[in-house]
Amino acid sequence: MARAPHDTPEGFFHFGEPAAPPVAAPVHASETWLHPRGGARPGETVLITGIAGGQGRLVARRLANTFDLVGADRTPWEGHPPGLRVHTVDIRKRKFEDILRTERPSAVVHLALVRHFRLGEELRHEINVLGTKRLLEYAIAHGVKRIVVVSSSYVYGALPDNPYYMDEDSPLNVSRNYTEIRDLAEVDTLANAFLWRHPEITTTVLRPVNTLGYYVHSAIGRYLRQRYVPTIMGFNPMMQFIHEEDVAEAVALALQAGTHGVFNVTGPGAVPLKVAISESGGAAVPMPETFARAIFSRLFRWGLYPTPSGAINFLKYPCTLDGRRFQQATGFTPLFSLEDVFASVRR
Amino acid sequence: MSLATLSRGATRTLPHTLHALEREIDERMARIPTRLNSYGYDAWGFHTETTKRAMLFTALLYRYWFRVSVHGIDRIPPGRCLVIGNHAGQIALDAAMIGAATFLEAEPPRISRGMGEYWLPTVPFVNEIMVRTGSVVGTRKNCIDMLEQGELVIAFPEGIRGMNKLIWERYQLQEFGQGFMRLALETDTPIVPVAVVGSEEQAPAIANVMPLARLLGMPAFPVTLTWPWLGFLGMLPLPVKYRVYFGEPMRFSGNPSDEDEVIAEKVDQVKARIAAMLAGGLGARRSLFW
Repeated sequence: MARAPHDTPEGFFHFGEPAAPPVAAPVHASETWLHPRGGARPGETVLITGIAGGQGRLVARRLANTFDLVGADRTPWEGHPPGLRVHTVDIRKRKFEDILRTERPSAVVHLALVRHFRLGEELRHEINVLGTKRLLEYAIAHGVKRIVVVSSSYVYGALPDNPYYMDEDSPLNVSRNYTEIRDLAEVDTLANAFLWRHPEITTTVLRPVNTLGYYVHSAIGRYLRQRYVPTIMGFNPMMQFIHEEDVAEAVALALQAGTHGVFNVTGPGAVPLKVAISESGGAAVPMPETFARAIFSRLFRWGLYPTPSGAINFLKYPCTLDGRRFQQATGFTPLFSLEDVFASVRR
Repeated sequence: MSLATLSRGATRTLPHTLHALEREIDERMARIPTRLNSYGYDAWGFHTETTKRAMLFTALLYRYWFRVSVHGIDRIPPGRCLVIGNHAGQIALDAAMIGAATFLEAEPPRISRGMGEYWLPTVPFVNEIMVRTGSVVGTRKNCIDMLEQGELVIAFPEGIRGMNKLIWERYQLQEFGQGFMRLALETDTPIVPVAVVGSEEQAPAIANVMPLARLLGMPAFPVTLTWPWLGFLGMLPLPVKYRVYFGEPMRFSGNPSDEDEVIAEKVDQVKARIAAMLAGGLGARRSLFW
């Protein structure tokens, strides 16, 4: 296989110092993701689903000055910035289609994914999978030109034989050992299939790594904010983190560059889990795996702990991504260092 | 408490003779270019402080237990290379000794990046030590990424077929996997053949109890003269003399996705070179122990 000149390693595993700007490389015919199609122009109408969530608010603030923003969410956003129209609507309902019909957005940022377990498995599955499916159908029907779906790194799953830097072609294995979030893998697959079936719509699937920050309510954020943090004895996997503002920036870049494809979005680097715990002000409490699984599966079933025991695999094995493709396609570089990221969740 | 803190505590009580060794390791580590992030970890989870502590222990084994003699270490080319060797001895001390040789004897010193068995990441503590000292699970992507960063990668194409063979099969090279050759062709990497004499007798296995291995989820369950009879003490290898022979780098060219037969021909060249070096080493050997 011919190696392109950009295959020099220095720029890509950027740790500490910012990476060198990616060098323009000769493009393979198959590497369609390296052909940005011309992105959203200022003033276009952009619909953000899930706008009242932490990431939704950040993306909205990031895009508000450039685009004509419309938001949709199940829960209202009190005190949203003036100038954007927020509709309180369930993505599964008929009324949601009315928003696309009347507002005629040319681009959609899809953030309306439930990543917590408070709603129950069925409802969660329905909002995520059915909601995404409906959204994609409406997008075709109402002339949407570009879609950005924010998936996550978790769809790859944490498995012992994961390579350290998984690229976008790695299989989505999460349902092998963490079945409770298989709906997120399904959403990703739906968006992926859509991307290939509808080349006329510029579709970007982003898979950001563990996202931390003040606004985003993520399982990993909740986990790291605890005073005593349960870990699995004898395991301390490398974990990548990214700041929520950098994820918002990645969404904006994807929208503006007009990328068409699937992209891992990696942040300033990786540290072992226990470093992340101590840096965010907690104390690791290692426990034997069998014990931890028994305890946490029961606590979850009784509603006393917010995360199912399948998440334990993410405390044992790496799920670290290769983010080069997105950097090459958009020039993305994370602004926030690892220190900044941990400071944002420090107790 | 992290591994690094634990091991730092353990070595603080060392007698003064070991401090010289410690200083030597510090000095050599300082000469190895590493790309560490602000927390001291490289892109693979390699951590210099933990590696230094582990290297102190390995160096003791290297100098005083196995009394390793190394031949042809200057044949290791600068930049990326694949070190391919025979695998034996029930526990991968041969990898550790080759790693110690490239760290302690090579000029300039090199960190050897091992390509671990798929089973290793599931073993508590072992997985962490493995990663902190520079090894990773031996997947294709890991190996390519490592080589593209100019690393020295160690792989044993025999895998557990070689490591867990019985004592009467010693120095008989088992079937070589082809993955390493395809990777070398794909990344245009020189292959350094290495023969380890001594490791094959360090833990003479007389049986491999596969049902028990399956039960415990291990790739093999060897029975040696001392293991499992003496418990963990039985894992201590015999103080055999190690002789490590590095061969001239071999360069191959061709299509990495060629038919198995075409690749096998190239693999056999490497295998033959290792076999020849093993025969030479065995011929020169007068005793198992010195």
